Amino acid sequence: MSKKTKSIAGVVLPNRAVSPTVMKMLILVQAGVALAIWWSSPFKVLPRPDEVVRALGDLWRVHGLGWEIITSVSLNVQAIGWTLLISLLLSYLTVIPFFRPIAAAVSKGRFLGLIGLTLLFTLMIGGGQPLKLALLVFGMSVFFVTSMAAVIQDLPKEAFDHARSLGMSEWRVVWEVVVLGTADDAFEVLRQNAAIGWMMLTMVEGISRAQGGLGAMLLNQNKHFHLAEVFAIQLLILAIGILQDYGIGALRNLLCPYATLLLERK
Amino acid sequence: MIQYEVRQTLVSVKNVSVLIDERPIVRDLSMEIKNIHRTDVAQGQVIALLGPSGIGKTTLFRVLAGLSEPTSGEVLVGDDQKPVEAGMVGVVFQQYRLFEHRTVLGNLVVAANRVGLRGHKAEKRSMELLDRFGLEGLHRRYPAQLSGGQRQRVAIAQQFICSHYFLLMDEPFSGLDPLAVDRVCKLVNEVAQADELNTIIIVTHNIEAGLKVADTVLLLGRDRDEKGAIIPGARIQATYDLAKMGLAWRENVDTLPEFLELEREIRAKFRDL
Repeated sequence: MSKKTKSIAGVVLPNRAVSPTVMKMLILVQAGVALAIWWSSPFKVLPRPDEVVRALGDLWRVHGLGWEIITSVSLNVQAIGWTLLISLLLSYLTVIPFFRPIAAAVSKGRFLGLIGLTLLFTLMIGGGQPLKLALLVFGMSVFFVTSMAAVIQDLPKEAFDHARSLGMSEWRVVWEVVVLGTADDAFEVLRQNAAIGWMMLTMVEGISRAQGGLGAMLLNQNKHFHLAEVFAIQLLILAIGILQDYGIGALRNLLCPYATLLLERK
Repeated sequence: MIQYEVRQTLVSVKNVSVLIDERPIVRDLSMEIKNIHRTDVAQGQVIALLGPSGIGKTTLFRVLAGLSEPTSGEVLVGDDQKPVEAGMVGVVFQQYRLFEHRTVLGNLVVAANRVGLRGHKAEKRSMELLDRFGLEGLHRRYPAQLSGGQRQRVAIAQQFICSHYFLLMDEPFSGLDPLAVDRVCKLVNEVAQADELNTIIIVTHNIEAGLKVADTVLLLGRDRDEKGAIIPGARIQATYDLAKMGLAWRENVDTLPEFLELEREIRAKFRDL
């Protein structure tokens, strides 16, 4: 069997690494199949791809989709920034026993529904943009702190002892082992939570629709049962999310090039 | 017979006891490591601390490294016999731990910074050590890109930058094939012969490798009462001065009948430790 044939056959065998070209081919074929299934779907209510593309054009020209994208991306970026600041600080502070119950309490916040918290947040913050931002930051932070605190908790004792054996002070040990040593994990946690942010965006932007955003637009189109438009917005959010995911991944590879060196499927 | 003389004390362990959850792990343990001087060559000290698994080697290792406080007793190191603190003794862990987020050079520079070397001076010293350990050309690599042997050398070089003369190695032969064990023994000898004051303590359960590399072997085990029952808490059960026995610093020492006999004797004792 030639090397090329082996590489192609590898796509259906377990624990095989395939070349980037084969992987690109695989993605193209699978996307093509998905598109074909969608196109030939027997469900008449489901908008076809050409209808979705037309709806996307209408949304852009008539409903100011471009501006809504800017509104939502801006809100999401701000939320990511605040989440990073609050969650990383709180996660790193778990090295101090005093902060562990606080981090644990924040982590438990992921069981609370955002709808139930809206009134409380409104009373504390007011409405509009700050409320949306606060809800989004809360929603993302509870998951971020959970994941990041677990990463820090799982650091082996030997990693700390190694730093101590070099004569480092305890704060320097924290910087070297906890902060720098988990930087690549922090990027991975950020990737997951930035995606959660987009999932919550619709709900959060629906609270105050006057300020617009993709979430508000989606809710409006959904209310009038404009399925092609709903699909168009969803696909747009998916594309932005994938782009954001790729961007964070690229940043991780740039700043933490060591992160993927040992991965089988790098 | 190789001529040598014993000089000043470099490491003293005085009546060290360690209790964990009220259970004695190390009991009233004392030992001394002295500077061995050879006229023909710079010769550091290599001490093998042998004992079966679960005897308390790791606990004693942490105390010797200054990473854990003993319940009672003290460990003094250096010419001036100062109480040991973390950072005074280099520690090479079983997995040859390094900072995975730093390059090889970065790993050494961060250690050099700990002894006050900054910027260009820290880099210069690090590059010198990389050359000395046969790691030239690898300074830009990350630990994940190193082979097992290269990783061992970087881990030892990193510890040597800031710990000066003392190096503790935890199970350096664990999980290695015979050729790799020989490579580690060679590396330990190279380090020991780099400076007369270099003192390497190897904690291991590998009897053959320990005997091959060391000039002194200490056997760690538990005492027994008159009825033969084990008294909890490890102590030094026997000391073998391999230099005196003519079994230290010799090529192919493991082929000598005296070596094989001693190995058999220690192996037999292991069962009762």
